Amino acid sequence: MRKILALIRRELIAYFSSPLAYMVLTAFLLLQGYIFYLIVSFLNDPRTQAMTPLRLFFGGTIFFWLFLLFVVPVITMRLIAEERRSGTIEPLLTAPITEGQVIAGKFLAALLFYVVLWLPTVVYVIILKRYTAIDLGPVASGYLGVFLLGFLFLGVGTSMSTLTRNQLIAAILAFAAMVLLFSVGLLDQLFLSSSFFKDALTYMNLWTQMDDFSRGIVDTRHVVYTLSGGLLFLYLAAVSLQVKKGR
Amino acid sequence: MIEVENLSKVFVDVPVVDDLSFFVPEGQVLGFLGPNGAGKTTTMRMLTAFLPPTAGRVVVAGIDLDADPVGLRREVGYLPENVPLYPEMRVDEYLRFRADIEDVPRSEIRANTEYVVDRCMLGEVRRQVIGTLSKGFRQRVGLAGALIHRPPVLILDEPTVGLDPNQIIKIRELIIELGRDHTVILSTHILPEVEQVCERVLIIDRGRIVADGSPDDLRSRFVGNPAIRVELRGADNEAAEALSRLPGVIRVTPTGDGRFTLEHSGEEDPREPVFRLAVERGWVLTEMSSERASLEDIFVRLTTREEDREPSAEPEAVAAAEEV
Repeated sequence: MRKILALIRRELIAYFSSPLAYMVLTAFLLLQGYIFYLIVSFLNDPRTQAMTPLRLFFGGTIFFWLFLLFVVPVITMRLIAEERRSGTIEPLLTAPITEGQVIAGKFLAALLFYVVLWLPTVVYVIILKRYTAIDLGPVASGYLGVFLLGFLFLGVGTSMSTLTRNQLIAAILAFAAMVLLFSVGLLDQLFLSSSFFKDALTYMNLWTQMDDFSRGIVDTRHVVYTLSGGLLFLYLAAVSLQVKKGR
Repeated sequence: MIEVENLSKVFVDVPVVDDLSFFVPEGQVLGFLGPNGAGKTTTMRMLTAFLPPTAGRVVVAGIDLDADPVGLRREVGYLPENVPLYPEMRVDEYLRFRADIEDVPRSEIRANTEYVVDRCMLGEVRRQVIGTLSKGFRQRVGLAGALIHRPPVLILDEPTVGLDPNQIIKIRELIIELGRDHTVILSTHILPEVEQVCERVLIIDRGRIVADGSPDDLRSRFVGNPAIRVELRGADNEAAEALSRLPGVIRVTPTGDGRFTLEHSGEEDPREPVFRLAVERGWVLTEMSSERASLEDIFVRLTTREEDREPSAEPEAVAAAEEV
């Protein structure tokens, strides 16, 4: 545990000593600010029907997905690829530490950064709460959904970072894998009649999962899917690190 | 302290390390030599449990690599080639990080940090960001990181590459000092370094051991008879003949301009008889020196590939290489 904490601390030092972290944070806040503006103007429009406005915030807009698909690879790309490129993987893995611990530490640091990314958005909730009645239940489940989605995507990104020593390639691989994972669930629309495949694809549909969370529905199937998916990729990451660390 | 038995590593059908066996007793400083691509780094990576061997056994400080690779890493301090470090961290942050991942007990972190900072002379740069340090300091930070858990065994892969002569001397002194209370394996290309630092030399080529012994040992084993070089002004044609009759002299080779190389058995010192002979014959002795084969000669002899060898190369060198 102590080693994992040491890895997390080191990783956070690395994040916040590079301009990338601040760029990501700034861009993210700009985007969220824009979405917040949309929500507010939406609420001010007398034609608006009764709905939960924060749904827009949690996966209700394409911006949310676009940004997530871009930003997660940026967070995860250097995790292992940079260790490999600079050679620091060698002193790291000749310390009494396992590949699993390395992956766990790196992933948790990325998850922490992701949480920090979302933290300022709580301010919007507080502002809205002051001026209008909002139901905090869906907000909480929305944040849970965001966290779980991050868990899955960051897991994918971490595993992709073990495959190469080039950060850019790691980012592209992560992006491709996440787009695949995201779009495969949307394919359920292609099937008209109910079948095993349609059910399976529906199960994997991240868009509807996020929609459920934003409406306050915490479906354990969604929780299981994202957590187990994330853990599967983390396991693959540890195996891949073990197999090809010297190359 | 370090036992290696029949160690092999094969990368996609290419044997990089081929049936290597050696033993390093506690407290020895072993120089690990070999041309580029001989398998030095791969061997070191196996000894530090970074790469798994294809075959063979490694035991370091009583811990078998197969049984407990993570435990073995605890006994070894490893400084890889080119000293990879995290440029964005400060020196003391890095040492703290190393202490944490190397299982240094919490109560000893402070003492160990002071110890390595002191030994590697890092006091003045503790708060500096590693990326801004000079190469010499970075080398010392790497070494400090490898020492933080006070391992009994140190494995250093080319620790003086890329340093200026002053820095090389400092690092070398540090290694000699560390050699007093650590078992050290040191790989290098710089042969004078080996003579200064190491009690024993292991030369490998194409993954196999071609020589093993102290520098003096190797010299007498691989270079043949000791020789002296003399220059005699006024020496006539019979000089070579007269010199070869001196006691102990095996062979005299004139090299022109009154210069001769005398090979002798090494049991008797021929320098005094040479001097007396010169006086007797009225020659002026202008130069006389012992020829000492350098480790470089031995290295070149043992590791030059047959295909690189010029046709005129002596056949006995090849024989010597194959003998081992």
